[in-house]
Amino acid sequence: MTTTPPGPRARLTGGVLLWYGVLGGGVAWAVHVLAAWGLDELACAAGSDRVLAMPLGRVVGLAVIVPALVTAGSLAVAALAWRRTARAQATGTQDRAYGRSRMLAVVGVWVNLLFLTIIVLGGVAVLVLPPCQL
Amino acid sequence: MVTTSTPPGVSRVDLARLTEHWAESRSLRGWFSTVDHKRIGRRYLVTAGVFFVLAGLSALAMRTQLARPEAGLLSPEEYNQLFTMHGTAMIFLFATPMLFGFGNYLVPLMIGARDMAFPRLNAFGYWVFLFAGLFMWASLPFGAAPNNGWFAYAPLSSEQHNPGLHMDVYALGLLFLGISTTAASINFIVTALKLRAPGMSLNRVPLFVWAIVATAFMVIFALPALNLDNAMLFLDRRFDTHFFDPSAGGNVLLWQHLFWIFGHPDVYIIVMPGLGIVSAVLPAFTRRGVVGYPLIVLSIVAIAIISFGVWVHHMFATGLPQLSYSFFSAASTIITIPSGLQIFAWLATMLLGRLVIRVPLLFVVGFIVTFVLGGVTGTMFALTAFDQQVTDTYFVVAHFHYVLIGGAVFPMLAGIYYWLPKITGRMYHEGLGRWAFWLVFAGMHITFFPMHLYGLFGMPRRVYTYASEPGWGGWNLVSTIGSYVLALGLLLVLVGVVHAVRRGRPAPPDPWRADTLEWATTSPPEPYNFPVLPRVHSLHPVWDERTAESTGEGATVDRILSEGRNTLLTSELDARVERPVPMPESTLKPLMLAAALLVLFAALLVAWYPVAAVAAVVVAATIAVWLWPAGPSRTSGVATP
Amino acid sequence: MTDRGGIMAATGAEALSTELPAGRSTGWWGMVMFVATEATLFACLLGSYFYLRFQYGPQWPPGAIGAPELLKPLIMTAVLLPSSLPMVWAEHGSRHGRRWQLRCGLGATMVLGLTFLTLQATEYAEKLRHFTLTTDVYGSLFYLITGFHGLHVLVGLTMIGWLLAAALSGATIDAHRRERVRNTAIYWHFVDAVWVAILFTIYLSPRL
Repeated sequence: MTTTPPGPRARLTGGVLLWYGVLGGGVAWAVHVLAAWGLDELACAAGSDRVLAMPLGRVVGLAVIVPALVTAGSLAVAALAWRRTARAQATGTQDRAYGRSRMLAVVGVWVNLLFLTIIVLGGVAVLVLPPCQL
Repeated sequence: MVTTSTPPGVSRVDLARLTEHWAESRSLRGWFSTVDHKRIGRRYLVTAGVFFVLAGLSALAMRTQLARPEAGLLSPEEYNQLFTMHGTAMIFLFATPMLFGFGNYLVPLMIGARDMAFPRLNAFGYWVFLFAGLFMWASLPFGAAPNNGWFAYAPLSSEQHNPGLHMDVYALGLLFLGISTTAASINFIVTALKLRAPGMSLNRVPLFVWAIVATAFMVIFALPALNLDNAMLFLDRRFDTHFFDPSAGGNVLLWQHLFWIFGHPDVYIIVMPGLGIVSAVLPAFTRRGVVGYPLIVLSIVAIAIISFGVWVHHMFATGLPQLSYSFFSAASTIITIPSGLQIFAWLATMLLGRLVIRVPLLFVVGFIVTFVLGGVTGTMFALTAFDQQVTDTYFVVAHFHYVLIGGAVFPMLAGIYYWLPKITGRMYHEGLGRWAFWLVFAGMHITFFPMHLYGLFGMPRRVYTYASEPGWGGWNLVSTIGSYVLALGLLLVLVGVVHAVRRGRPAPPDPWRADTLEWATTSPPEPYNFPVLPRVHSLHPVWDERTAESTGEGATVDRILSEGRNTLLTSELDARVERPVPMPESTLKPLMLAAALLVLFAALLVAWYPVAAVAAVVVAATIAVWLWPAGPSRTSGVATP
Repeated sequence: MTDRGGIMAATGAEALSTELPAGRSTGWWGMVMFVATEATLFACLLGSYFYLRFQYGPQWPPGAIGAPELLKPLIMTAVLLPSSLPMVWAEHGSRHGRRWQLRCGLGATMVLGLTFLTLQATEYAEKLRHFTLTTDVYGSLFYLITGFHGLHVLVGLTMIGWLLAAALSGATIDAHRRERVRNTAIYWHFVDAVWVAILFTIYLSPRL
């Protein structure tokens, strides 16, 4: 990595990307739980199985798939950051920012795996259970 | 390495100046106006300890009543108030404030700072906590204490079903206390972000600090739900609104949702700092760092987030669609992974390290055994069918006492023995400590293990007595005997602390040869904590030659900062030096503001609304004076000579 | 530099290790955390509104209350939302030491905020004839949500009034004062943003 140092734009993007890699899955999962649970419970309580002219099952399915994709993206970014910082450290750079971003990347990889698992488990339930069965 | 008389790397002139700027007067006024995080932290610990004793005595009274069937020691009304106050006080007035007390004392020391980021807010938080606690406990002698269980389900808590002041005390008391908890949490987060010693990048932050910060974040996002819930309850009871009133379009389940949105994160709010204490204690007694530092950080972060998505598992018996349960079941099942990860990391640490068996380590071992048992019964609840079978029985009571005593009280006791030399400057008596440990450990299991059994046999919780036919009497007697053993053990802990303060031999700066920065200064620390703010080079700064050197020959003027009451501001992630910041002097305003709030809440409680209005004006005026933009006073010298 | 090069640079170890956020003051963090916890409170409040609404049944607002009038709340929005602009301008002024700009900006924000509160008072006077806090759950929700927001506007205005008093008293604008202007601005923008959520929840959503 002996290229020219990144410009301010690239630095900003890089900093944001790292945080997406660490927290993206968590945020996506929070949205998933709120959306899927809220839609299901409120639609069923109102006695309807359609939301905005779409079947409830499909809407809840969307509330699983979209967050799952966001989490997968976050996982990919975290893995990338892990590899890049590990390689940079291996070349002997002693900047402690690398150590810090590498740790955050490690945390991001594992945390995103956890969140992906939770979202996928929720997706399985959507496939198996009819939306309003008590 | 650092001795009291001549710390290396700093001149006598600098030391005298630091003392001049940081010392607080020992007068009565000084006692009320202090902003020193160490004094405030000590007060949190002692006050929370007193509330613990009160809540514990409530429990003893209940256990005495339940020792045999159809006993008449307590009336049903008294019993209701006692179990409600026991739960409420243990959760809100003991567990969180006690752990925040540790945090208050230790976070600035562990990160190498001279105080919290907002010292006056810190003092304010303590006074509010004290007043809110007194506010709630004062209702008990009048027979007006909360009586609805600690989670105060509507509609039983509504005016119609529960007249009198009981639940008003609950709603107002918790709202009042919420101010303190929120203030302390913001303070922890900002302190840990901005005041870390230079060089302490995120991958060198002690695990205890990680745990406290994660806890503080959980409070920030969880407590508003409880505050809103209590505000609605108070409005419903006092001003005839209809939030929980189905006859006018309200919904009783709204209470439960809001309560558990707060309540489940709160379980982790209580346990997380306890786990942090364990991670802080282990390195000293295994002679190595905790295995898998990034994985423990991961576990802390993951638990802090996932704990917000499991609240419905407290409500599996309320009749919602199966599919909506399953999202929470998924989260409830997966959250066991990060929790388990920490346990395995600690076991591996003990396996790979060289054990030094002292009282703090005994309590850590007791914690692991008890907490794992509580975790096992906890995972059983993730199965909706099982949960519906045992909900509201003593099985649940057994479960959460294993989790909370295991996850919070044992680590706290470990922490008390571990940091007592630092806080008091005295060593405790090892033999007395061992007796205390074995009594507490045995008493705890004798009390709560049988509860699993008679819970499965069908004994419901929260009954003031029971008939002899179901045959629960024998096991209940065992529980009662156990509770007295437990109380005796806890008494011995208290005796041990008093003995140490009175008779203990003086403690060296680092009696355990531990790894974090609080051990790099004197016991007890000077008001300015560190003569030289260290420069951190590793995760275990005290075991690290270069960090030790940074406060010795390598000390630089920019880390002594003796020309005022200053500490160092560093950057958020990598702790690069930014600039020194002046810290506020001692002041009486926090106490005045808290007192005005007390008047406000008391007036609301007894429905003296004009007084409440006046108190609200006083509160606003006090804040206005506090924040009067007069510019920072950077005149030299301290306020009190 | 091409797009591709941009991406390469942004995902390099050095860019990924950029310290972000950095250099904020303790006061800034304190205010941001305070706003975060307040925002959660409003989220719970609006969530409770939707929860109660959908649990209630098809007709909402219940009984004879009828969907809320839109004209006045839209005027209130038109008054409150732009009030963030003079605040931004005032903050800009404080950063460059231009006291007149600070005074004018704060003054303008103050006027707009007070107008908003006056409009809200007239709206209440109108509504209270139809329903009150105790009529039914809709009344309870309406007055709690809008009243709580109105209280926040009042608190924000008090903070601005405080800054204005300091700016008029003629003290120099030092770092300490600049930080207060910035923190007040954060709070004020938050109060504005919450109003948008309330406008959608209370006034627009019953018409959807």
